[in-house]
Amino acid sequence: MPTRDPKVLVSEVSVTFESHGRSVVALDRISLQAQVGEFLCIVGPSGSGKSTLLRVLAGLVRQSAGEVRIQADHPGTPLTAMVFQEHALLPWRTVRDNVTFGLENRGVGRAERDARAREMLAMVGLARFAQHYPHQLSGGMKQRVGIARALANDPEVLLMDEPLAALDAQTRTIMQEELLRIWATLGKTVVYVTHSLEEALLLGDRVVLLTARPGRVSEIYPIDLGRPRGLEVRASPAYGVLLEKIWARLREEVVRAIADDRGADPEEIGA
Amino acid sequence: MSVVVPAAMLVLWELCSRLAIISPRYFPPPTTVGWVLADRVAAGDLGAELVVTLTRLVFAFALAAVPAIPLGLLMGIARPVRHVVEPYLAFIFPVPKITLLPFLLIILGLGEPAFVLTGASSAFFQIVISTLAGVQTMDPRLLDVGRNYGAHGLRLFGKVILPAALPAIFTGLRLGLGLALVTLVAVEFIAAKSGLGHLVYRHWQMLSTPEMYAAFALIGAVGLVLTRGLRALQARVLTWQDDSGG
Amino acid sequence: MKALGRWLTEHGMTVGSPIALLLAWEWASATGLLRAVFFPRPSTILAHLRDLALDGTLWGHTATTLARIGWSFTLAAVLGVAIGLAMGLWRRLREGLDPVFAVIYPIPSVLFLPLVSFIVPAGEVALVVTSAVTSFFLIAFTTTHGVRQIDRLVVEAAVHYGARGWRLFATVLLPGALPFIFTGLRLGLGFSLIVVVAVEIVSASRGLGALLWLSWQILKVEDMYATFFVIALLGALLSYGLAALRDRLLPWVPDVGDR
Repeated sequence: MPTRDPKVLVSEVSVTFESHGRSVVALDRISLQAQVGEFLCIVGPSGSGKSTLLRVLAGLVRQSAGEVRIQADHPGTPLTAMVFQEHALLPWRTVRDNVTFGLENRGVGRAERDARAREMLAMVGLARFAQHYPHQLSGGMKQRVGIARALANDPEVLLMDEPLAALDAQTRTIMQEELLRIWATLGKTVVYVTHSLEEALLLGDRVVLLTARPGRVSEIYPIDLGRPRGLEVRASPAYGVLLEKIWARLREEVVRAIADDRGADPEEIGA
Repeated sequence: MSVVVPAAMLVLWELCSRLAIISPRYFPPPTTVGWVLADRVAAGDLGAELVVTLTRLVFAFALAAVPAIPLGLLMGIARPVRHVVEPYLAFIFPVPKITLLPFLLIILGLGEPAFVLTGASSAFFQIVISTLAGVQTMDPRLLDVGRNYGAHGLRLFGKVILPAALPAIFTGLRLGLGLALVTLVAVEFIAAKSGLGHLVYRHWQMLSTPEMYAAFALIGAVGLVLTRGLRALQARVLTWQDDSGG
Repeated sequence: MKALGRWLTEHGMTVGSPIALLLAWEWASATGLLRAVFFPRPSTILAHLRDLALDGTLWGHTATTLARIGWSFTLAAVLGVAIGLAMGLWRRLREGLDPVFAVIYPIPSVLFLPLVSFIVPAGEVALVVTSAVTSFFLIAFTTTHGVRQIDRLVVEAAVHYGARGWRLFATVLLPGALPFIFTGLRLGLGFSLIVVVAVEIVSASRGLGALLWLSWQILKVEDMYATFFVIALLGALLSYGLAALRDRLLPWVPDVGDR
């Protein structure tokens, strides 16, 4: 077991929103950790606050209680860089200028920015598209630009908010392979939010399962499926067992979330 | 905020006018304008002018909408019609419709028909263009759905094309009404002897500024009520449309 | 070959339709079917147009009108974009000014002539300021909308990647609003023409609007038509010219035709 401090430490974090005059508890006393170089996946039903948790880590949302600590091993680099679900690229900038956006804002010089952009675009396989505009790219390509942008920033921790959710199944599978490859090369600490349990098992070292709103940590599962991992792991029995086990718990939470939405009794929703 | 700021402005105006920081001759205090407004409305003559303007507006709008909508629809579904009519639209659209007034005055003489037609021309082009856009930008898949489920020809038109174009048509009507009002008031200012626009002119010439501002206020109010009212009506009638539509 | 034939037919109709109309008009007017007093022959109108151009009257009036459009549009654009941006960025300001704008906007610009003449001595300045009013509101409205329609997620991402304050404005908010600002400016320019001409009709002695009104008052119908044509030409140039420019300046906005 690792004895050093965790890279990411979330301690009793709660987030409460005011909405239409009522208080909504999005996250309730969340505690979790991520070690250096770990790929941590967070799954949960809709409304469990997964994205909110990520935004707290990114500093975009202020928690109402609790503490977040990210270990800064490399001074001068940002703590986090997030890959957003709907790519969120700036439509009026070329691919290259989108990738270097974070560097620009930190005052990095032109030469270094260009070099970094070339490197990252090559890593995601978009070297030829540096001068294109986002609207000229497909969904998968735009998402790769988003990843390149995050990596170019060289963050301590990489945050990913359902980055592949908006893609079609085929592109998504290819992108999952890409992610595994990139992560193996760079060895970053990653916190990855997804609603797909299959994806979480494929990518993650550990999977955190959140409950329906208010989001609490239901359980944290270690994923012992070996590294390096490829798509073929989906055929292994260990994968199947894990999938069954975790889905059983996740399913309960999903049903609860649907019932909540409809104001109905969970029992009525095909439980 | 939306109440505080205008209220504060009025108060400021009141003070500056009473204290003669700005000339009370040219900028009478809002309270004076208010009294005059109430007075004239009670006496009925402001009301009469308002009715005159509104009547012209109704006629202008009807004259514009009745031919414009069918024309726009026709242009949308029949390409030859569109190709024939398009050059005229493109030519006239950027022209100030007020410039049509002198021509109409010659042909129809100085009177209501010329005024109303000028106002109608503003609305007409807007409605045609909006209606055409409504047909052209409808989701083409809806046509496929219609045909696949047995709607052809007239039925396809009535059950699919027309409803799909309705939001754009409605927006066109709303914009057209606003344009007709603006043009009509301008026409009244320039050439008529009645109506709110003319009132502003008359009181300007006589320097009876409280009456002038009262007429101003009434015009602004009419414009506001019409726009907001139509927008609310649009939301009511087209309940399936989400907020993004114009 | 069939496609070419179709293209020719369609464009043939578009070009042919007005030509056919002009020819019909010429014939109808010449034969007296249309009263020449109301509808003079296009050939006569053309002759008058040529005369006006040759003796310099036309250029003089056109130049005056163009100058006024230039000044009033600049005034409206600078103020409109500035205040539109401010309203887009600060909710309080927007809420405060919205009702004021909503009441003033439906009033035709011409009617502001009295007001403006109280503040500024009657003359060119009064004319220019009056003409700027409606354009100002139009440009402010579209600018505000341009700022507000920027995808929240894009702004969030930009903030996350370190863009704050001035940088956020310059690299995100302004470019994001630009397509709308441009549309507003284009519409505003078209409007400037309309209002300048209207104001000229009311109170000027020079300019295309004044020329039109003057020609009416002395019943020189051919000159009326000629002036109208020039105004229409100007309107088309201003409206459609700017549209072409947009593709140059804003390469990231996908053409509607692309879809």
